[in-house]
Amino acid sequence: MQAMYLANYFIAGCIASSLLGWIASLHPMAFRAIAFLLAALGIIWASAWLLDYSLSQFLKISIQQLQAVLISVLAVLVVGLGVFLCS
Amino acid sequence: MFLKMIVLSSSALVLWLAPLVGLDKKVGWHKSIQGLSLSAAVACAVSAGNIGRHLADESEIQELKTRAIKADVEDEIATEVYISQAQRQQEAEAVLNPVERLERALALSCGDEDGTANVQNEIQAEDVEEQRAERVLELKAKGWGKAKIILEVWGVSKGGSQKYKDAETLYERLIRGET
Repeated sequence: MQAMYLANYFIAGCIASSLLGWIASLHPMAFRAIAFLLAALGIIWASAWLLDYSLSQFLKISIQQLQAVLISVLAVLVVGLGVFLCS
Repeated sequence: MFLKMIVLSSSALVLWLAPLVGLDKKVGWHKSIQGLSLSAAVACAVSAGNIGRHLADESEIQELKTRAIKADVEDEIATEVYISQAQRQQEAEAVLNPVERLERALALSCGDEDGTANVQNEIQAEDVEEQRAERVLELKAKGWGKAKIILEVWGVSKGGSQKYKDAETLYERLIRGET
């Protein structure tokens, strides 16, 4: 059951990233805003990998859980934007 | 709830993929439909995720309850086994106790019989001695001789036999007044 709800949240993330791509396709300014958002997210994501020990202590989760979340975020963005761009 | 979650997640997948694949991005209203369906798909997926999390929590609580009930049942069984063992022991002791009482009673009654018999024997022996003493004194008063009295009272004729010697000792004792 836990795997099912995690899968549902994963799908929700994928659809949300597709929605971001759709918003980016509406207007050049929206594209820039989404690009800025993705760039900021990329910086945060990389910083989280670098600061994983202190961040796991701050969030009170294990390092494995934090790494799993970071990999999931990357997979969500890749799958969602990939589906939008390839369709 | 589980069925609702399945329907919502399926709807999310359909609403996500179908407009993106089937509609043209260059047409205006197609693009609007894509945006609406993507928003609806996000909402469906998030709702399905929430329901799934709720079900996971419930199943975890149910598992804990099952474990607790199982532990309670095991504890109850162990307690019943202990109680039944103690009860069996008490019953066995209760069964054994009357037997022990009976044995004690029998032993006491046997002891009483022996004691009574000894007492009775002693009383009889004393009676015999008294009768002998009276008979001896009576015959002595009549002027009977020693050998004749011993022959009359003890039934032993004069001679060197051990029986006569014993009878003579008793006669002498009775004559001296020792009982």
